[in-house]
This record gives sequence, structure tokens and C-alpha cells, in this order.
Amino acid sequence: MENHKFGLSIRNVSKTYANGVRALNNVTLDIPNGMYGLLGPNGAGKSTLMRILATLQDPDNGSIQLDNLDVLHQKNEVRKTLGYLPQEFGVYPKVSAENLLYHFAILKGITNRGERKVIVEALLRQTNLWDVRRQKLGGYSGGMRQRFGVAVALLGNPKLMIVDEPTAGLDPAERVRFLNLLSELGENSAVILSTHIVEDVSELCTKMAIIRKGQILLEAEPLRAVNELKGKIWRRMIEKNALTNIEQRYAVITTKLLAGQTVVHIYSEQDPGNGFEHAETDLEDVYFCTMAGHYGNASAKQQEVTS
Amino acid sequence: MKLLHIFRFEFRCQLRTASVWLYFLVLLASSFMVITMNYADDARDGYILVNAPVVIGVVTVLSCVLWLLVGSSVAGHAATRDVQTRMHPLTYTAPVSKAEYLGGRFLAAFVINAVIMLAIPAGILIAVYLNELEPAIIGPFRSATYLASYFFIALPNAFFATAIQFSMAALKRSAMASFLAGGLLFFLAYILGSALNQSTQSSGYGNLVDPMSFSIMLNKLTIEFTPVQLNSAVISLKGPLLWNRLFWFCISFIALGCTYSRFRFAHPTAGSSWWKRRKVKRKIHHPALLPVSIGIVETTRVTVPTVRQRFGFAAQAKQTLTIAIVSFKQLAKSRVGIFFLAFIALLVFVIVPLKTDFLGVPMIPRTNHLLTFLTAPLTNAQTPWIIIPLLVMFYVGELVWRERDAGMSEITGAAPVQEWVLFTGKFLGLTFTLMVWLTLLMMTGILIQLNLGYNHFEIGQYLQTLFGIQLIDYLLFALLAFVVHVLVNQKYIAQLLILIAFGYITFAPTLGIENKLLIYGSDTGWSFSDINGFGPSLQTWLWFKLYWVAWALLLAVLANLLWVRSKESGFKSRLQLAMARFKGLTIWTTILAVSLIISVGGFIFYNTHVLNEYDSTSERIAKSVDYEKQFIRFEHLPQATVVGTKLWVNIYPKQTKATITGTYQLVNNSAVPIDSILLSTVSGVSTHRIVFDRQAKLLTSRNNAADMVYVLANALQPGDSMHINFSVDFAQRGFSNSGAGSYVLANGTYFTNRHLLPVVGFQAYRCISDVSLRKKHGLAPRPLMPSLYNVEARYNLYQADQTNFEAIVSTDADQVAVAPGRLQRTWAKDGRRYFHYVTNAPIPNQYAFFSAKYAVHEVKWNNVTVQVFHQRDHRANLKSMLDGARSALAYYTKQFGPYPYDVFRLVEHPGYGSGMHAEATTIDFEEGFSLLNPIDKDAYDLPFYIVAHETAHQWWGAAQLLPARVEGAFVLTEAFAVYTGMQVLEEKYGNECLQRYLTQIRKTYEIPRTKAAVPLLRASDQYQGYRKGPFALYALSKYINKERVNGALKQLLAKHGSGKPPLPTTLDLYRELKAITPDTLQYLLHDLFEVNTYWDLKTDNVTAQPTKDGNWQVTLRVQARKDIIDEMGNETRVPMSDWIEIGVFSAPEKGKELDKVLYLQKHRIRTGQQTITLTVPNKPTRAGIDPNNLLIDLKVNDNSKIVKLEN
Repeated sequence: MENHKFGLSIRNVSKTYANGVRALNNVTLDIPNGMYGLLGPNGAGKSTLMRILATLQDPDNGSIQLDNLDVLHQKNEVRKTLGYLPQEFGVYPKVSAENLLYHFAILKGITNRGERKVIVEALLRQTNLWDVRRQKLGGYSGGMRQRFGVAVALLGNPKLMIVDEPTAGLDPAERVRFLNLLSELGENSAVILSTHIVEDVSELCTKMAIIRKGQILLEAEPLRAVNELKGKIWRRMIEKNALTNIEQRYAVITTKLLAGQTVVHIYSEQDPGNGFEHAETDLEDVYFCTMAGHYGNASAKQQEVTS
Repeated sequence: MKLLHIFRFEFRCQLRTASVWLYFLVLLASSFMVITMNYADDARDGYILVNAPVVIGVVTVLSCVLWLLVGSSVAGHAATRDVQTRMHPLTYTAPVSKAEYLGGRFLAAFVINAVIMLAIPAGILIAVYLNELEPAIIGPFRSATYLASYFFIALPNAFFATAIQFSMAALKRSAMASFLAGGLLFFLAYILGSALNQSTQSSGYGNLVDPMSFSIMLNKLTIEFTPVQLNSAVISLKGPLLWNRLFWFCISFIALGCTYSRFRFAHPTAGSSWWKRRKVKRKIHHPALLPVSIGIVETTRVTVPTVRQRFGFAAQAKQTLTIAIVSFKQLAKSRVGIFFLAFIALLVFVIVPLKTDFLGVPMIPRTNHLLTFLTAPLTNAQTPWIIIPLLVMFYVGELVWRERDAGMSEITGAAPVQEWVLFTGKFLGLTFTLMVWLTLLMMTGILIQLNLGYNHFEIGQYLQTLFGIQLIDYLLFALLAFVVHVLVNQKYIAQLLILIAFGYITFAPTLGIENKLLIYGSDTGWSFSDINGFGPSLQTWLWFKLYWVAWALLLAVLANLLWVRSKESGFKSRLQLAMARFKGLTIWTTILAVSLIISVGGFIFYNTHVLNEYDSTSERIAKSVDYEKQFIRFEHLPQATVVGTKLWVNIYPKQTKATITGTYQLVNNSAVPIDSILLSTVSGVSTHRIVFDRQAKLLTSRNNAADMVYVLANALQPGDSMHINFSVDFAQRGFSNSGAGSYVLANGTYFTNRHLLPVVGFQAYRCISDVSLRKKHGLAPRPLMPSLYNVEARYNLYQADQTNFEAIVSTDADQVAVAPGRLQRTWAKDGRRYFHYVTNAPIPNQYAFFSAKYAVHEVKWNNVTVQVFHQRDHRANLKSMLDGARSALAYYTKQFGPYPYDVFRLVEHPGYGSGMHAEATTIDFEEGFSLLNPIDKDAYDLPFYIVAHETAHQWWGAAQLLPARVEGAFVLTEAFAVYTGMQVLEEKYGNECLQRYLTQIRKTYEIPRTKAAVPLLRASDQYQGYRKGPFALYALSKYINKERVNGALKQLLAKHGSGKPPLPTTLDLYRELKAITPDTLQYLLHDLFEVNTYWDLKTDNVTAQPTKDGNWQVTLRVQARKDIIDEMGNETRVPMSDWIEIGVFSAPEKGKELDKVLYLQKHRIRTGQQTITLTVPNKPTRAGIDPNNLLIDLKVNDNSKIVKLEN
């Protein structure tokens, strides 16, 4: 038996849906306190994993341990310390934010009237919903609704926060503030943030995992991963029609448009020459390298195939 | 052609959903079942062919009404598909016009529904032709029948419903609105339409408001069509049906037009409804309520205060209550509930006054009486309260799906709340809602009472009945609905399944399932009486409810185990989850529920199957068949008749038991020796020590211990007599599947000899009358009533033996026991009271015993003691009753002959009935009679009349002139009693009061009914006995004269009143009437009695002008015709040359109600139009033909007209 002195430990979790889609394939992760980023493209299995952690789904096999709790079998215990912000959620359109938050406070076991008042007010102020607390939720904008979701998730000082693609509907300013809020939370609990936006992770998370097609491709600390890739990423501006040629010759990881020209990033351990120059490595390169199979758990296998 | 494309797209979408096919199957099955389980039996009875056009019409409307509850999702989805799937931003912005978009969607829904409707004829065809029905009950196939019922009924119904459901859903942007529209239409069709049609005044509206033409078709089947029409008349689009269709076409087009003009291709926003927008308009100048800085404040650090979380039992209770209140608020806020509630309250106001009126006399709205209209058991689908379970079903769906519908299920699901908290909270919320409804019902009841001037509100009884009894019924159903919703986890399919379950609960007995241990939520009913409270009914009710509450507990456990809070909806994973949840308290609850089910169920089973005989319908039928087959030979064999009865009856009210010892004296009144006696005891009642005073051998009968044949060693010779001694022990042991018996009660014991005592001879009433059942069990055909011309039947006495009667009845010291005969002596001994009764003349062998804490009121008439035994506070009609009895005794004695006995009693016993029932020396009545509350007794004293009527039975049918049990017997009993009772009413209160009564009972003409009937001489139904018969006699008395008609009755009584066979029939009456009728009126006697005649008399117009000598010349243009209609409905117009009254009237004199007669003479009237001119001395106001409605005429109002004055 391993020692679970920290956070969350996920062991060999697999999940296959009835329609044959393999959402999670033998996922094993250790998630300590602090912000943890779960990065992956759409359909990678992020939400499935998040829902499993939030006690709303059951894996086919595997085990999950939160401190001393068995997440899969002690659901009610887990829920007592859980904050969950789902990827998509609705609200009761005819209820005011204050009332609904009050309601959830009771559901979260905050039965003392005074304490409930205090925390509801604090959360509404924190999420800047205080001025609109009496307004019906049906009239809220996407961002306000998302902040309301955060307020609900924060009720009851959760030890485990699960935040599923929270920045999807937010404008840039709101996104920044939201991430700030999350990072402060990460100081005393485990916050798992799933996203397909690399910046979310690079700006916040001390640890991260990249997931694709249900498999963990990389489990790393963002800074270290960026450092490891330093010097292996090369870039070049090319004409659009030259792309096919380049793609055949090099391990292209991204192509982007910049001022009407195409910028190509390739992975190469040596200098490829041919007009390529060193690129400033960032987490996005780590992500795409991993996805392309040049980096991470799967890279060794991938290289065998390509070479 | 975008419309066509939209149509096709929607059509395909719908065809791909399982529910559409499910609806098709449901209609197919329902029409199939109605035909095979109901109409096939009717057809075997020879009542109607199984594929008669009207049957197909009725099955069609029935299925349509069912479909309203089931199939609303078709229109709902078509109207809201885009909003529900959130596709609307894409579709709304496409270049499609509103007409194309809505039109295509609507047409698709309509066509789908039209296709679903095809299931009805399909189901019928399968039931008729692929079901191996016997060819004899199937009529020829006529495609017109099916086409008419599809195109005149089903298709328009589909159109109306689709239009209204689609409109509501499109405008509210919610598929649920369509469901509610369906509910509303159901309410109009099934509840309001029938309710309005119950009252004769508003029947036209009932036909109109019913969008499915449900009551129109049902009326055709039950009362309007003649037998010939039933099997032949194709449903045609005319009359009420046409108007109904046109009306609803208008409504549907208005709804669609409204939808077209109001629908917007716009994003649905909160508060997009009309009245919300109005509210917002007023506030619009306020600045938008946006926070000053947007987003999460970055400057302040996140400092969420630390709070204590509690998860103990107290916290869970608090959570439960919170969820309950939130759920309650959700239901209370939904306008649907309020809308329906208002309707329910309105309905109560419509219905209750109708029901608290008995022949034009209001009844005291005593709470227990009112509550019978305000409540209905779950198993009864015939009352408007069916709307409550349907609403419960709908609300449970909303509650169970609330989080998921709002998209909040994941947040709630991850909250630390136990499943049972969620479940119980929601259930409690619904409970609160139901309590509010019931409070509303209670307030409605109190308002009705206030409105009727009654202010003795028995709040306790309201609470007991509504919140004790009714609420539990509804909650049991609600719990079932919860479980189905949780289990099925598909909103619409769950709703369909609940509906099927509800159908099972209400129609289980029709399906052959009668054991109440197998019908969820059922009980043996309850009743409340002022005399005996709930009596034993409540205890039995409680046992059954405890049993079902235990089941409900188990269901609740199931719902908890399978409660869906996660994304996992697969069966396997839910099962695994359930296994994981099955621990701790849940296990204990399960154990408790199961052990309760077993122990209480076992106790009930012990009561219904061991302590009491369990009689299912099929067993009862088998017993009757067996009885008839074994003993039918006794029916026409001379049997000894009972001429003396001596009984020692001990009633123990507190122990609900009675012991009886008795002796019958039998005499052979026939001309041949009798060698065997058929003695039947009551099954389930212990009868023992049967001793004959001569040697008799008991022939043991297989599997039937209750009916015994004793073969006498020495036959009983003609004129000889013998004695039989017996003892009966009756004890109410527990309860049976039909409830606790109600013979011996703590207060209000009432039983007759037939209930407990052995009887001699063949009991014809025990034969099965149902034709198809008789055929099925190989019994010879047996008419419901023997033919009038069956001479043998006139010698059959049945219960008409004339016996001397003597009884000593004992009961508790604080009660009075009543039996026939004069009270010889009463005494107390060992804490009990004894009453010794002896009759001074023989009585027919039907008598009753009573015991209760009666108040007794006594007067004398000549040598007869007249007594009323009544519940202490039921005194309102005492004077009327005593007056009625005395006046009637005096009048009948004068007119028809002496009253044979020296006592006359009126005795009250528990029950809701408002009529009375007569036996020799005794009239018994239920508590409903005591509620009669005539406003002005001098104007219209109905209790007086009813007593006079029942007293008349002492001459006609109960004590003297016992008619043979053949066709027409009704005339000799009921028609005589009504007719002679009317005379007493007239004698006491005058002609005006009589006319008021006649107007009341003439209203029964106005109810549309088939004219087809047997002639009065063979009268077979209530209408003929109580209405047509008395009217015929009344007409005769006006044409001939009252004294001579009474003389004929007196003659009849003198010749046939002895009770000795041959017993009299209407033929004997007819002979007497013929003898007193002058030759010129013999035709009238024939028309009234020998054939079924309907006159159609009408005054077209009346003019009058003054003559020179100060008189007025009146000219009437009248029309007349006469039809004879046979029992199959074939009409024959017969030429008239009839004496009919022509009357001319002026306004009533001061203080009088009836018009003053200026002229009233009989004229010879022929068929067709004719003009009559006559002269009257004063200025006329009204004139007409047969103005007093002496002849049978369906339209009584057109007989006379207001006079037009000419100069």
C-alpha cells in the first residue's frame, strides 16, 4: 500500500462507455495540494475523469484515494469536502443568486444560520455578485453564471476543488480574475483544473498532466518540461504552399498564421538548418510536442515507429 | 417548398422517436381491450352488436380521451424541438418565414397524430375479426362506419388537440405546456362535459365544451339511440356533433392564428411571458443591475470564512425541510396548479349544489354528506377528482427532474446530501402542496355550507376525512409515481407507465383482479354516519392502508437505492450503485417494510380468506350456477309456505354479534303432497340445530353446505302443517375483501331476514341474469322478468308468503330494538332490554330488525300507533313524516280499504340514501332523508309526499296487492304508490303543490332518451314505474274522473289483495280500468297502456280579439300527431281522432301561482294542423293544446303559447 500523505491518488482508472468509446485508459495520477492542470483536446476524457473525481461517475476499474477516503466507495464522505464546478450547468431561472446560494449552503451542511449568512455574503462579495444578488439567475450573463458556480463550489471550504473547463465562456479580463481566484484557493487545497487552453495551465499550475484519447501522455511540472524542451524547437516563416514539403521533411508540431505568413514549429534535437531558427519554447510547444508524440510517456514508443 | 421540407424533416424526426410508436401501441391496445373486455360481453348479452357503429364511435372517443393524457409530446416536441435542443440560434436565423416554420412543424405533428389515431380503427378491427369472437355478435362489415368515426371524430379530435397543444407549447416554448394543454382538454372532455350534462339545463353546453365529443357519443349509446339505431345508425355529422366540431374548429384556428401572430424568432429570455413583460416595462428606466466592476475582484484576497459543516441527523432533517420548502414553492409558483385548482373549486361549486338537491328540494349540507362529493377513492375514475392523481403524476415528474431540467444536477449531485434527503424532501414538498389543495377543498366545502345557510361546520370531520383519509390515498399514489419516475428515468415513458398503473388501480376489477391485497392503494372503502360514526369501516380501512403504507415504504427504499444523481444511467451501474447504497438504516427500513407487509398482509389475508369467505366474482358466479343447476327443479314444484314465524333475537351491538333462535310453521297450500323441503341458510352465517318436527332426511349436497334438501319420511299433505326449529349465530368476524359487514353495529343495527335467517324454497333472485354468462355456463335462457303472459309465474310466491309474526328481541340496555308488530311488553333483565312484538295480521315474509339509541316520536291515528324511530338530532322532518303517515293512512283507508295492522313505523338507520323503503308495518330510511330541507313546507313538502308514497305501499306491494313477479309489476307497486301519493299531497296542500311536484318529475322527460320501450302493461324500468305509469293514471283520472279510477284500484285490491295465488298482474288492472272507461275513451286506455305512445302536440300561434259583446274570440292554430314506437324503436305514425284538452287562461289571480282557467274543454283533434276558434269571457293571456300535459309528450313547453291580441 502506498503512502497517501498528500492529495489525490488515481490508480489505473479505466472507463469505457456503452457506445464503445474508451474515455479513460488505465489512468494513473498523483495530485498534490495546489493547482493541478489537466490539459487535453476536446474529447480526450477530461470531463469523464473530472466527473469520476466528483463522485458522479464510476470507472470500470481502478481506484481513487483522497487522503484517507476511498473516492469510489465513500462518495458521501468525499462530497463533504468537495467543490465541483461542472463544465456546463444551468440554474433555476426564477430564483435569485442569494437564495440559491443559501439553499446550497444548507445542502453543504452549513446549518448554522449565522454562519450561513456570513459565508453567503462573503462568497457573493468575493465573486463580485453582491450587487446583483437579488436578481433572478435567469437574467445572468455567462460570466456571472460561471462566478455563481464558483461561489457554490467554494461553499464549505472544500479540500478538493474540481473545475472543469471554467474559462471557456469568459472574456479575457474575467478569465484572468477567475484564474487568480483559483490560484489563491490552491494554497490550501487540491484544485484540479481541466482545460484545453494551454495558457490556463502555464499561468497557474505547478503540476500538470496531458491527456489524449483517455491516456495520460505526460505528467510533469510545466516549468521543468519547458526547460527540457529548450533548444529542441525550431521555427521558420514559410509561404503557405511550401508547407506540404516541410511537413514531409520535418517533425512539424504547429503551424500558425502570423501577418499573412505561416510560422512553422518543428521538433528537432539537432539544428535542422534550412532557415530554421531557435524558437522561444513555451508550454504550448510542450503540449503539441506531447500530442505529436515527441515528448512524454508515449514518446519512446512513438519514436520507434517513426525511425 | 421550404414548408414541405420542414414538414418532412419534422415528420422523420418524430417517426424515429420510440414514444410515437408507443402511443400508437397504447391506442391499439386500449381500443382492442375496450372491445374485447366490455363490448363483446354487452354483445353476448344481446344488447348490441360488437361492431355497431355507435360502439365504434364510443371506443374512438374513449381512446381519444386517453390519448389526450398520453400523446401530448408529439405536438410539444414539434413546437419546441429547437428551443429544447438549443438549436434555435441556428434555425431561427435561417431565412425561413414564420408561416413555413410553424406550418411545417404543426402539419407534421398533426399528421403524426392522425397516424396514431389510425391505431383506434386498427385495434377495433383486430378485436372484432382476429380475435375469434363468435360470429353471432358481429354485424356486417361496413367501411362507412370506420370512415365516419375516423373522419368525423378521431381526425378532427387530433386536429383540435394538436392545434391547442402546439400553440401552448410554441408560445410557452416548453414541451410541458403541451402536456398541460392535453390535461386541460382532458378535463374539458372527461370531467366538465359530463358534469354539465348531468344537469338537464346545461346539457347543451356540455356537448359544446367537450373537445373530443366524448359525452355526445356516450349519450347516443346510453340513452339517445333506440335498439334499432344502435346497431344500424352510422354516425352522421349533424346536430350536436356538427356544432361541436364547428365550435372546436373555430377555437383551433383562433389558437393557431394567435400562435402565428405572437410567435417570434427570438431568443427565449426569462420573463418572456406577456404579463412579466408588462411588469418589466414599468421598471425599464432603472439602470441595468450590473456590478460596477466586472468579474472577480482581483485586489482582495480570497478569504472564504471557515464555517462548520454538520452532517448529523439534525442537519439532514434541516436539509430535508429545505428541499421540501423549495419543492413546495416550485409547485406553488407554477401557474398550472393554481389554474387547475381554481377549476376544481369552480367545479365543486357547479356539482355540489346539483347533488344536494333531491327532486327540487335542497338538502342540509351536513359535512359528512358534503364530503362524499369532495372526496373520491383512488380506485374511482368516475369523479372529477381524477384530476388530482393526474396532477400528482405531472408534479412528481417535475420534482424528480427538477435539477436535471435546470441543468443543475451535477452541482446538486456532488453536494454532500444523502439520497433519502433529496427524495424525502421532494416528497414532503408534494405533500405540502396536496395539503394546500385539500385545505382549499375544505374551504370550498365551508363556503358552500355558508352559501346554503348552514353554519354548523364540523371542522374535525373535514380534517379527519380530507387529511386523514384522502391525503393518505393521494400520497400512496404520489409515492408510486416517484418510484416509477426514478426507476424508469425517462420522463414521458415514466408518465405513460404511471398512467397505465393508475389504469390498473382503477380498472383492476374489470380485469378480473379483485383481491384488494393485489391492487396498490386499495381499501374496502369507508362511510360515515351520524348514527354510528365511521363504524367498523374505518378500522378495516386502516388495516389495508397500513399494508399499503408498508409497500410504499419498500417502494421508497427502492427509489432511494436507484435515485439518479450521477451521470450513470446504465442499468448495470445503477444496480451496482444501489447495492453500494444498501446498508445501515436502509437495510433496517427494508426489513421493517417487508415484515410489515408480511404480518399485516397476513393478518388481512387471515381476515379476508380464513375468518370470512373470500368470494371473487367468478366464485360467486360459480356458486350461483351451481345453485341454479341443483335446485331449479324446486322453482315450479309446490313448496310449503311459511305461515308462522316465531323468533328470539339477541342483538349484542358492542360485540357486533347476534344470536337468533326461531321456529317456522310451514303449510302445504298446494293440492299435492310435498315430500321434500329446500332450506337455504346464509353462507358465512352459522346456522345450526335445524330440527324438523317430523322425520326428515338431509340429502347432503356436494360443495354446498348452505343449501339443504330435506326429504320428509311422510309427505306433507295438502292443508297440513309442520314446524322447523333453527338457531343462527352471527358474529362479525374481522372483515372480508369487501369490508366489514354492517348488519350488527355498535349503534344502528339493521338487518333483514334475508341477511341472516334460513329461507324455504327456491330463491329466484340468486339466478344469474347476465345472458352471456348464462350461455357460457350452460344455463337455459331466462328472461330478466318472466313474461306478463306467463301464467305459471303468477303462482310463484317467492317472498310473498303471508306469515304471522312474533319476536322477542333483546339488545343493550341503552338501545331500542324494533321488529314488526305491536309491542306487547318490554322489560329489562341482566343489563339488557327485551322487546316482545306480535303482528295482528299476517305479513309478507320480508321483515327487518333494528337496534339503536333511538329517539321515538309517537302519535295515534284511529287504533293505529304511528311511530318514528330516529337519530336524536334528526328532527327537521318529524312533523312532515307524522303528518304524511296519518294523512295517507286516512286517505287510503277511505279510498281503497282498511290498513290491516295496528302499528305503523318509520325507522332510521345508517346510510347516505335519501329515499325510503317500505315493508309491511315498517318504513325504513337512511340518514340522507333526514337531510331533506324544504325551504317552504307549505309550498312543496317533499318529505310529506315521500312518506305518503311509502305509506301507499302498505296497500300496493309491501303488505297488500303483492304483484306476481312478471313484467309490469312496477305499475302495480310504484306507479300506484306515486299516483295515490300525489292524491294525498293534493288533498293536504292543494292542486298548486301537486302541480309543483308534477313539474319536478316531468323534468325527467327532458332528459334525452330513446323512445323505444315496451308498453306500460309490461313496464320494466324505473322511468316507466315511477314516471310514465303515474302520468298515465293521472291522465285517466282527468279524462274519466278520479273517483272512478280509484274505484278500479279498489276493486283490484278487493279481488287480489289477499296475497294468495294467482298473484295479480297489470292485465288484472287493465281489466278493471276497461270496465270503468267509457267507450269513447277506450282508445286512450289502449294508447296509454297497451302500446307505447308518444303524442307530439304543439300550438303554433294564438290570437284573440274582443267581440262586440265584451267577450274575446280566441283562435288557436295547433298541430298534433301521434306515434307508436315499439321496443326496437320502429315508429308508426297513427291517425288521430283524439279528445284533447284545449285551454285558455288569463294571468293568475292575486296570491295564486297557477293561471286562471277561462276555458278548458276536450276537443276532437286529428293529425296535422288545425284551427280552433272559441270565445271566452275575459282577456286571455295564454292558450294551448293539452296545457296540463296530461299526455306523454317529449316537448312539454310548446303545448301552449302567449296570446297575441288583435284589434
